[in-house]
Amino acid sequence: MKIFSRRLRKLLSGLPVDDGRLQEIRLRVRAPILLRFRDGERSVTDSGRMISNPAEGYRVTPDDLKETLDYLSGYSMYAYEEELRQGFLTIQGGHRIGLAGRAVVEAGVLRSMKYITFMNIRLAREIRGCADGLIPFVYQEGNLCHTLILSPPGAGKTTLLRDLIRQISDGNRKHPGMTVGVVDERSEIGACYQGIPQNDLGIRTDILDASPKAQGMMMLIRTMSPEAVAVDEIGGNADVEALEHCMNCGCKILATVHGSSIEELKKKDGV
Amino acid sequence: MNLQFILKVLGCGLILTGSSGYGFALAQRYKARLDALTQLRQMILLLKGQMIGVNAPLGEAFLAIGTRTKGDLSGLFRQAAERILASPGEPFPGIWRCCVGALGTDCALSSSDRHSLAAMAEHLGYLDRELQEQHLLLYLEELDSVIQELRRRKQDQCRLYGSMGILCGIFLVLLIC
Repeated sequence: MKIFSRRLRKLLSGLPVDDGRLQEIRLRVRAPILLRFRDGERSVTDSGRMISNPAEGYRVTPDDLKETLDYLSGYSMYAYEEELRQGFLTIQGGHRIGLAGRAVVEAGVLRSMKYITFMNIRLAREIRGCADGLIPFVYQEGNLCHTLILSPPGAGKTTLLRDLIRQISDGNRKHPGMTVGVVDERSEIGACYQGIPQNDLGIRTDILDASPKAQGMMMLIRTMSPEAVAVDEIGGNADVEALEHCMNCGCKILATVHGSSIEELKKKDGV
Repeated sequence: MNLQFILKVLGCGLILTGSSGYGFALAQRYKARLDALTQLRQMILLLKGQMIGVNAPLGEAFLAIGTRTKGDLSGLFRQAAERILASPGEPFPGIWRCCVGALGTDCALSSSDRHSLAAMAEHLGYLDRELQEQHLLLYLEELDSVIQELRRRKQDQCRLYGSMGILCGIFLVLLIC
């Protein structure tokens, strides 16, 4: 709640935002607040009452967004230039705030963003145990297999990968724990805040946060000696080359990729 | 020598001591103000380093400076850091002004120093690191000019305070006698 403007705090404070069902909060200037739950979308009235018809919802003002930006950045937007270039920031708790507004472009390259008027607050949730059913299948004769998780967007690949990493790192009665190196390019897996992971990725896991995947994998192999390397959303030749290098070094790969079928995956360039 | 004379002498002695002491206290206050401004300058340089070099958000930057330095001013930075990190729901200039306002009379900064220090926060935290750096450099220039002026006048001013204290004491003694 502390990240919101005073007005929005009052509206949202009485709502069930901590019970695990809320997935996103969308703030758009001059549009109603939208709360996305697992079972649908809601809005909030001026008096703080939750409703299903967004047309009657409280409309976010430019001041609300400006004030919210001040609080979520700790009054320090200057310190988040790199994050603005990427279009999101991660706050304490591992929640990702997607931002959109007016792009500041220099020599054809996106340098920063100004007039931020759209915000998507994705609430981080780890689901411990969601990879329980998968664990028996990722080991063969006691050895970890290379594992690729494939699904369309929004199906839970990252959530599954996160729990898989944790269980492989911690080990269990049948399989000893393994050192896992994670390249967390978008801070979604570990949700690191000031370098500290907000999600539990296991006791033998090292995380390289906000690093490009290909470079990150090479660095981890050289410096942290992982037995397994985990990355999210691979795509492109550089990622694939880095993965091959990791495999040649004897590391097992845990990765996810966008796609709806193996046939579609086979058609992807690089992958 | 009768009792009245002894009391008069004692009274004159007290007046002389009091007024000289006041004069010397003013001189000490002048030196303390110079020391406080010098320390403040050092802390602003550290703040610049934290914000621009390390890219630390304001709360972390103030906390780092507040824990590394000592004195009233380090307390100011620590207090501001605590309030920023608590996210009370008020704009940063208001938080900073409140913390500067809470500086006690023990702190030797003058009212104009405090006013400038409070005003410094008006433009901190905006997007763009270059702007932050320029803003801090501007404030450092102002501080440097005040410090230089105080140093230039230090010897004369302190001598003046001391002398005036003694002379006022003598004047009062003569007036009474």
